[in-house]
Amino acid sequence: MKDATKALVLLLAGGIGSRLNILVGHRAKPAVPFCGIYRIIDFSLSNVMNSGLTRVGVLTQYKPLSLMRHLGTGEAWDFTGRTRGVKILPPRTGEKDSDWYKGTADAIRQNIDFIRANPSKQVVILSGDHIYQMDLDDMISYHRKKRADVTIGMMVVPIEEIHQFGTGIVDNDNRIIDWEEKPKQPKTNLASMGIYVFDTAYLLDTLAKDKKEIDFGMHIIPRALAEARVYAYPFHGYWRDVGTIQAYWDTNMDAIRAGSEISPEQWGIRPNPDADGLPMDRAPARLATGCHVRSSMISAGCVIEGTVINSVLSPGIHVRKGAVVKDSVIFADSIIEEGAVVDLVICDKQAHIGKNAVVGHGENKTTVNKRYPTHLYTGITLVGKKAEVAPGVTIGRNCIIGPNTTFADFKDKKIIENGETL
Amino acid sequence: MLKPSTLAMILAGGRVDELGVLTHYRPKSAVPFGGFARVIDFPLTNLMRSGIELIAILSQYRSYSLINHIGTGAAWDMIGRNRGISILPPFKDYHNPHWYRGSADAVYQNLDFVRYKNPSEILILSGDHIYQMDYRKMVRYHKKMNADLTAAFVEVAPEKAHRFGIGEIESGDPVGGRLLSYEEKPSTPRCNWASLTILCFRPEVLYEVLAANQHNTSYEFGRDIIPLMMKRNHRVYGYKYHGYWGYTRTVQEYWQTSMDLLGPDPKIDLESWGIRSNLEHRGIRDCQPLLIGAQGEMDNSMAYNGCIVEGTVKNSILFPGVRVEKNAVVEDCVLFFNNVVKENSRLYKTVSDVNTTFGNGTRIGDRHPEESEGRDITVIGWNNSIPDGMVIGSGCTVHPNIDPSLWPIGGLKHGEVLQ
Repeated sequence: MKDATKALVLLLAGGIGSRLNILVGHRAKPAVPFCGIYRIIDFSLSNVMNSGLTRVGVLTQYKPLSLMRHLGTGEAWDFTGRTRGVKILPPRTGEKDSDWYKGTADAIRQNIDFIRANPSKQVVILSGDHIYQMDLDDMISYHRKKRADVTIGMMVVPIEEIHQFGTGIVDNDNRIIDWEEKPKQPKTNLASMGIYVFDTAYLLDTLAKDKKEIDFGMHIIPRALAEARVYAYPFHGYWRDVGTIQAYWDTNMDAIRAGSEISPEQWGIRPNPDADGLPMDRAPARLATGCHVRSSMISAGCVIEGTVINSVLSPGIHVRKGAVVKDSVIFADSIIEEGAVVDLVICDKQAHIGKNAVVGHGENKTTVNKRYPTHLYTGITLVGKKAEVAPGVTIGRNCIIGPNTTFADFKDKKIIENGETL
Repeated sequence: MLKPSTLAMILAGGRVDELGVLTHYRPKSAVPFGGFARVIDFPLTNLMRSGIELIAILSQYRSYSLINHIGTGAAWDMIGRNRGISILPPFKDYHNPHWYRGSADAVYQNLDFVRYKNPSEILILSGDHIYQMDYRKMVRYHKKMNADLTAAFVEVAPEKAHRFGIGEIESGDPVGGRLLSYEEKPSTPRCNWASLTILCFRPEVLYEVLAANQHNTSYEFGRDIIPLMMKRNHRVYGYKYHGYWGYTRTVQEYWQTSMDLLGPDPKIDLESWGIRSNLEHRGIRDCQPLLIGAQGEMDNSMAYNGCIVEGTVKNSILFPGVRVEKNAVVEDCVLFFNNVVKENSRLYKTVSDVNTTFGNGTRIGDRHPEESEGRDITVIGWNNSIPDGMVIGSGCTVHPNIDPSLWPIGGLKHGEVLQ
């Protein structure tokens, strides 16, 4: 029995997430595939569903088509019914305002009509791009018990990572008494997870004050500290922001590590397999005679004839004889041809790795990508959606093979050096 | 096609004794098959692909599992103004106090439903075969021949012909021909063309012969209706089918047909056949991908999402939620949903129904000295918890829901039955 049924959920799914590079070339970050059969947003949506919340607005902005197709009617998360629903809230042109969402608070402000149209006592504001499991019902109860105006989900993070987050200092009652957004010299290791419960009345009131306040962490929360009751809701479980290539890869690898804390199925995370609009269902994964698969996640529809070690494979991937896939994350319907090697690679949908090609070659993982040195610097090579890698080609570390690259684009090149982009 | 014109009726009611413990709690059409699906998904998918969108399912025996599986019909796109799957359970009324007394009686009892739909053809299918077929070709042939009944036939091995309805088809046309004779399970078959139980009827004729047969004491399409129509000189045609046809009537056949899913070039290719199942049933759509552990090994096998393999799996099919623990070996097996094979167990040639746990060090199917070639299959019914270290021979049968205290300390010998 859940008592939070009156809360309204707004899910921020508009961010570009540009550090995910070509993975967000044609889709919003929350729509990036994750852990084989999921999309990143499935985690937030399933948390909402499992918490008994039934009314959700999803704020989209950047390349929303893939995300909209994935959400569909919301049936996958049980959001269909007379008083249930998931609504897409894109930016729009109004009488007075005609603008893109300028920030988190601005996005919510532009949807005040939606908040008013769905009367609620509390509004839950979530980000659509985190991997975690959380009972929002418990957080709302906590918020009510504390008679808070704002409650922020917060957790302890390693001190070297704290500069990426909003940080808070709390008193003995978990009331937040000091706040710093992305501090250079952190005073605390308690970080905001970007999960807020607002009393609806307070939210409407505070958003009406100054339209130049466009961001929760930068503007709304610091002012709330002075004028309202702001509490931290401590969270102790597994939570990852998968906003960078490295974090994205690490989090996928967490899912296949023995004794790992992340388990989408046990967490009750639901994917939406119907969204692909396939004419048939994926058949069970078929592991052929002579294949070799260890420490990996293999989705339905895969056919494995070669070797797969320490990797996460989405549905419909074909790893042919003599091919080796290692330490990699491969998205749906990619083909790894005979004798090809794919090592430390994130490979987008429908990629085609030609015979005897090597993607991720050599021991030098420290030559960073020349074009995106802050994106690729640990040796991970990216292969874009529908990219073809010509047979026999060798591709180094920290490389990018752009989406829709064709065999012809390789011309006579037999080697793509470390850090190059094609 | 403005309105649906062909009504398909799937005979899904029966259970077969030969499938034993697998059909104690479900009709044969709801038996799991193909690592995630059910047998009835094959005719349902064929109907969907054939553009036949008006379907009735005649169900009688323990139909809950079947009804659950059909759901709204959405899995096969069978919802809409002109599309749908109707489940027709047996009923009592002023005139009729009976259960369905046979396949023909089941259809007869629902003739008001059939007449209301006013179909141009009635396609009667059996819900227990594994095959891919475009029924449209057969319906077209039926119309072209102006037939009263067209029945599909497939060539089977001559030594097996006595187990089927056997029809002699007039030669000359590779597509089919007038049916010259028909015998149900003849002791000395005249040929080896076996009925697939795919029957396309002209409605008025069907109504007439079903009514005529009500005076009989047997009510089966194969045994009674087809011979009656032959006797009355109706226009009965045989349509020749040439593709794969898998049957699941005995445990041996079920196992063999399952093995046809494996190998380098499987005879049953689920995806190219376009098979759809209801992924809502048992919630398998929410299972996470198959997880193979650091010591896991799979060879010539199939496993759906939701499985965890830390041991060795060879020549086997694992349904969602199966767990094979470290140092366990599963070989030549079909394990239904949520079986757990604990550490150090060794399972050979076992078909195990849902929710069964094999305790630490269980051994099943070690070769019996008298078995010359291959082993007999051991079948385990659902919801069993097999005690640690139990030794079970080949060819054994374990009934569902056995109280763990009933297990004999010495295990089960070759061919024993535990109930």
